[in-house]
Amino acid sequence: MTRHHPDSLSLMEYSAGNLSEPHALCIRLHLDQCSHCRSRVDTLDSLGAVVMEQQPKVSLSESMFDSILAKIDSAPNDQPAMPPAPRIGVLQKLLGKDLSSLPWKRQLGDVSVLDITERFPGQKDQVVLQKLAAGGKAPAHTHRGDETTIVLQGAFADQKGVFNQWDFVVLTDHDEHKPVAVGCEDCITLSVLSAPVRLTGTFTRMLNPFIR
Amino acid sequence: MTTLDQKPASSEGRKDPWSQLLQKVGKNQDREAYHALFQHFGPQIKYYAMANGLASHAEELVQEVFVSIWRRSCLYDWRKAAASTWIFTIARNQRIDMLRKMQRTSAEMPVETEDLWQIPGENENEPVTSLHRLMSERRIRESLSHLPEEQTTVIAKVYMENKSHQMVADELNIPLGTVKSRVRLALNKLKVILQDQNV
Repeated sequence: MTRHHPDSLSLMEYSAGNLSEPHALCIRLHLDQCSHCRSRVDTLDSLGAVVMEQQPKVSLSESMFDSILAKIDSAPNDQPAMPPAPRIGVLQKLLGKDLSSLPWKRQLGDVSVLDITERFPGQKDQVVLQKLAAGGKAPAHTHRGDETTIVLQGAFADQKGVFNQWDFVVLTDHDEHKPVAVGCEDCITLSVLSAPVRLTGTFTRMLNPFIR
Repeated sequence: MTTLDQKPASSEGRKDPWSQLLQKVGKNQDREAYHALFQHFGPQIKYYAMANGLASHAEELVQEVFVSIWRRSCLYDWRKAAASTWIFTIARNQRIDMLRKMQRTSAEMPVETEDLWQIPGENENEPVTSLHRLMSERRIRESLSHLPEEQTTVIAKVYMENKSHQMVADELNIPLGTVKSRVRLALNKLKVILQDQNV
């Protein structure tokens, strides 16, 4: 179980570029707000550079350099091909609107969900937004398989602690909890469910992490 | 080989030679500096492509990476990342991008690779921490050479062959827990695990 920050092993998989898009998104959202973890990723990126430098080299033809020059000459440099990260957040890009105006589906009691798996075509993880109404409680539940969650808005608490905006949580099947939305805002989370074996029906899987 | 091909050996937290060259590319579109970077990093990137299963696209990846280096070099700030780190992350992102594009159309990708994997130093809120970064790269280079082979093997597979910890375990026929503990031991020595917070 990982709470509040991603562990170093996950950050390494992120730095190496080995995570699925939804898992990378959870890490990225956390990194945007956590300079501590950003500096760990910087170190890991440097590790990648040093590892790459120590591998065997494969020779290249000089003609390849000429074709690279031809390429950069054919596309003028003054139109920035890669504008520096426009400040439209990745979430907004993904959802097309902000969190308050999403087509939530009311589930049990205080819990609403929105499955956004289809925004990530070609991969196996299930990606779900969940909303626990301010002050609301979710029934006690356990987890099956790994579930990575990042808090996007508000906060929730369970017997292990309080999870604030941008906190990162990984729960496994050993973890049982009974989350409560704390504070005066609805608590909204983004969860990625690794899909090892589908042990429960779609309906119940939809309810993570608040309910399973 | 020119003298530019010596290994960066900055000792005072100063700019290493590659970072100086990259900065020249960014500031002056210096093609000689660009060529020197190509000679040094091109072969590394080609190996990277071949190691992670893109053998038939290896040269294409090298080209994509270098075009990207040229276009975004104006954003490069040596105080925020060493050139080698910056170039590694571009290679990583171009690899991810290439794989994504092979699998689907761009209409199916609302989120771009860069939205998920950032190039170091392009977060405008980041304070300048040059000394820390340059030292950390030097420290990594030194520490890595002292790690037992079983640890460096696992790390190389994760970074170069882009295998998950689980895939490395399967390939080496050892338990996942063993892979993880080798990585943890290595990251400990590399001081990445300063304070893993499992509060």
